[in-house]
Amino acid sequence: MRRTLGKSLLLGSAISLSVLTAQAEEFKWASTTDPQTMDPHAVNSAPVLSFLNNIYEGLVRRGRDMSIEPSLATSWEPLDGENGWRFNLRRDVTFQDGAAFTSEDVMFSYQRASDEAADVRSWFAPVTDVRVVDEYTIDFVTSAPNPLFPSSIANFMILDKDWAMTNDAALPARDAENYATMNVNGTGPFTVASRDPGVKTVLTPHDGWWDEAGHNVTEATFTPIGNAATGLAALLSGEIDFIQPIPLQDVAQVESRDGFKVLEGEETRVIMFGFGHEHETLLYSSDVTDANPFSDPRVRLAAAHAIDLASIDRVLFRGKIEGASQLVPAGISGYSEANSSRPEYDPEKAKALLAEAGYPEGFSFGLKCPNDRYINDEALCRAAASMFAAVGLDAELSTGPVRDYWPQLREDDFDMYLLGWSPGTFDMEHPIRFLMHSQDNERKLGSWNFGGYSNARVDELLPLIQQEIEPATRQALVDEVVAITQEEVAYIPLYTQPLIWAAKDNVDLTQRADNFFMLRWVTVN
Amino acid sequence: MVYFIAKRLIQSVFVMLAVAFLAFSLFRFVGDPITQMTGVETSVADQERLREDLGLNDPFALQFMRFTGDMLQGDFGFSYRTRQPVAEMITKRIPATLELGIVALLISLLVGIPAGVYTALRPRGIVSQAILMATLVGVSIPTFVIGIMLIFFFGVQLSWLPTFGRGGTVSVGGWETSFLTIDGWRALILPAVTLGVYQLTLTMRLVRAEMMEVMRSDYIRFATARGVPMSRLYFKHALANTMVPVITIIGLQFGGVIAFSIVTESVFQWPGMGLLFLESIRFVDIPVMGVYLVVIALFFVLVNLIVDLLYVAIDPRLRIKDVS
Repeated sequence: MRRTLGKSLLLGSAISLSVLTAQAEEFKWASTTDPQTMDPHAVNSAPVLSFLNNIYEGLVRRGRDMSIEPSLATSWEPLDGENGWRFNLRRDVTFQDGAAFTSEDVMFSYQRASDEAADVRSWFAPVTDVRVVDEYTIDFVTSAPNPLFPSSIANFMILDKDWAMTNDAALPARDAENYATMNVNGTGPFTVASRDPGVKTVLTPHDGWWDEAGHNVTEATFTPIGNAATGLAALLSGEIDFIQPIPLQDVAQVESRDGFKVLEGEETRVIMFGFGHEHETLLYSSDVTDANPFSDPRVRLAAAHAIDLASIDRVLFRGKIEGASQLVPAGISGYSEANSSRPEYDPEKAKALLAEAGYPEGFSFGLKCPNDRYINDEALCRAAASMFAAVGLDAELSTGPVRDYWPQLREDDFDMYLLGWSPGTFDMEHPIRFLMHSQDNERKLGSWNFGGYSNARVDELLPLIQQEIEPATRQALVDEVVAITQEEVAYIPLYTQPLIWAAKDNVDLTQRADNFFMLRWVTVN
Repeated sequence: MVYFIAKRLIQSVFVMLAVAFLAFSLFRFVGDPITQMTGVETSVADQERLREDLGLNDPFALQFMRFTGDMLQGDFGFSYRTRQPVAEMITKRIPATLELGIVALLISLLVGIPAGVYTALRPRGIVSQAILMATLVGVSIPTFVIGIMLIFFFGVQLSWLPTFGRGGTVSVGGWETSFLTIDGWRALILPAVTLGVYQLTLTMRLVRAEMMEVMRSDYIRFATARGVPMSRLYFKHALANTMVPVITIIGLQFGGVIAFSIVTESVFQWPGMGLLFLESIRFVDIPVMGVYLVVIALFFVLVNLIVDLLYVAIDPRLRIKDVS
C-alpha cells in the first residue's frame, strides 16, 4: 500500500491518493453504549471519558500500561511551603481550531469542571485554590498533602477558554444542550468530523497534534451496537474492524474464524459480595427475624468459605478469571502483597463457623444482584446461591436491571448484595474511600459503602494513606487496612472481571485495563 | 365527513392524555434516572441536588401536570441522557421507523395477498400446502430469532447484505430517506423482511379464509354461470369483497408494526424510534419515554382513522348510509 501511495503521489493525482488512503486506513469500531455527550465535564462515565480521551487531553495521561505520563503538562512537582502541585505546561500546543493552549485554559477548565453543573467535580474535592503563575505554569493548592492528585486528574480534560466562551458553553449543559454537547475543540489526536447521536460519530486526525501520531488512521467511525449478537455479526461480516466488548460465550466463535482475533485481558474491576453490616435484622429471612447474623464476622467468613471459585471459573467464565483477595487486583498501586490470599473453598469449615456463631442449621436471607451490569452477573449469583445453600445459607435471590438495582442498594433493601468496583484513580485508596470508610455524606466518604461497614481504625487510616508521600510507609498503612477488612470480612472479594475485545487480524491495538479504547494506538495493516 | 374526522381527532387528545398518565405512573417503577445520569464518584449531595433540580422529588400529580402542560404548549422537554430537545430526537428517528414499517407492510401485502388468493383457489395443491407450512414456521419463530438468522445467513455467511444500520441515506427536506440509494435499499431488505414476516402470514391467511368464503357465495356461482372470465371473477368480484376485513386487520396491525418495530430495530441497530425508546429505558430517560409513548398513541389513533376512511372508499354501502 505504501508503494502504491508513493506512486500516486508521484503521479500527482490527488483524487486517487485520497481514495487509496481512505481504503487503507479507514477504521470502524463499535461498542455497546454511545457516549451521551461530547462535553468532557458533563458526565463522569466510562463510555464518555473513554471516547473523549481521543479528542481532549488532560495535564497528565495514562500510557498503555496505565502508568501516568506527561501530556499537556511536561512536568509537575509538589509546591514549596504549602500543600499542592505545580504543573509546568507544554508549549506550542494548539487546539483543533488553531488556538494556542495556555494556563488560562487550564484555569478555565478547572472552574468549569468543578462547578456544580459538572459531574466530574468530585475530582477537585481536595483542591482549595488554583493559581495561574505565568502563561505556562499553574498551581493546584490542596487542603492536605496529596501525592495522588496528579494521577487522580488523568481524565480532567482541557477546553479552550475562548472557544467555550464564544460559543456560550462556559458551563456543562444542565437542562438544554449547549454547543459543547455536540461540538468539540480539544488538543488531542482526533477531532469529530460528524456526529449523529446514538447512530454514528466520525473522527478525523488532528493534524496539529503536538505528539507524534503512532496510529495510521485517516478516518475512524464509531457506531454504538447495543445488541451483542448484532455486534458480533457486524464484525464477522467485516463491516466493522473492532468491537468492545464481546460476550464470553462468543469467544470460541470468533477464534474459530480466519481473519479475526480475540483480545483478552483483565479489567481492574473486582467483583465482590457485600453485607448489610449495620442492619438490625435480616430483611428477607423466613427463620431469623430478630437478629442480623451477618453482623458476626464468623458468619461472613463462613459465606466466604462456601464459595467454590474454581467451579465458577470453569463453568461460567471458561477459565478466564483471576481470584481476588482484596478490592483491587494485583498490579494496582497500593495492592497489598502481604494479604494476597483469599479464603479457600471449604464447606466443612463454613458449617463449623456457622455452628460456632450459633446457626448450626444455617438461616435464610435475601441476596440481591444486578442482571445487566457485570459479565454473567445473574449466573454468578445463581451459582453462589446454590453454594451457600450447600452449607445451610439459604439465599433467596432477586435480580434486576441496574437502573433499579442502585436505588435498592441506596435504600438498604438487601441482606447481601453483589458489587463490582473499578478504582477510578487506579490506587487502593479509591475503594477504601468509597467502600470501606464509614458512610459520611458530609465529607463525601463511604458513598458506596451500602452495607454501612464501619471500623474506627480504617477511618483513621484513610486520611493518613491519602497524605503519606513515602511509599513504604504508605504501603504499611494500606496493608493494615487490607488486613483489618480481611480479618473482619468486610466484603467477599471474588475475582477480577475479564476484559474481552475482538478485532480483525490486521488491526493492531492496545487493550488498556480501564477498558478505555485509544485510537492513537491503532494501526491498520 | 369533516365532523367525523374532527370528532376523532378530539377523541385522540384524550387517548393521548390517558396514555401519558398510564406511562407516567409506570415510570416510577422503571428505575432511578439520577444513578444513570451520574458517575460513581458523584457525591450523594450532588445527586440529591440534581434530583431536586429535575423536579423528581415533586409529587406525582405535579410532575404529570408539568409534563402534559409543557407538552400542550409544544415544549417536549430535554432528554436526561443527552440533553437534546426530545422533539428533535424523536422527529429525527421517525423517518427510519416509518420507512421500515412501510416497506415491511408492502412486502406483506405484495406477497401475502397473491399467496392468499392462490392458496384459496388451489387449497389442496402441493404448492399451497408448502406455502402454508412455510408461513406457519414463519409465524411461530420469534422476530429476533428470524432477524439473527437472516443476519448470519445473508450478512455473515454470504456477505450479500449489511448486518446493521441504515446504510446510505439522503436528506430530502429534512427527511432522511433510505429510498434513494442502493446502499439504503440493501440495508432495508433484511429488517423489513424480519418485521414483515408476521404481517405477511396474517395477511395471507386472512385473504385465504375470506376468499374461500366468498368463492362459495351465490353471486360468485351466478357470475361463473354467466360466463364472467376467471381472472375478472377472482380479482374484481371475489377479491374486492374480501378486502374490508383485510384492511381492518392490516390497518390495526400497521400501528403494531410501528410500535413493535422495537425488536427488529434492536436486532439490526436500526436507528428508529424503537431503538431510541429502548436506549431511553436503559437510562431511565423519562422525557423521551413519555413523548415516545404519546407519539405512538397518536399514531394508533391516526391509523384507525385512516382505516375508517378507507372503509368508505372500498365499501359503497357505507357511502350511501353516510348520505342518508
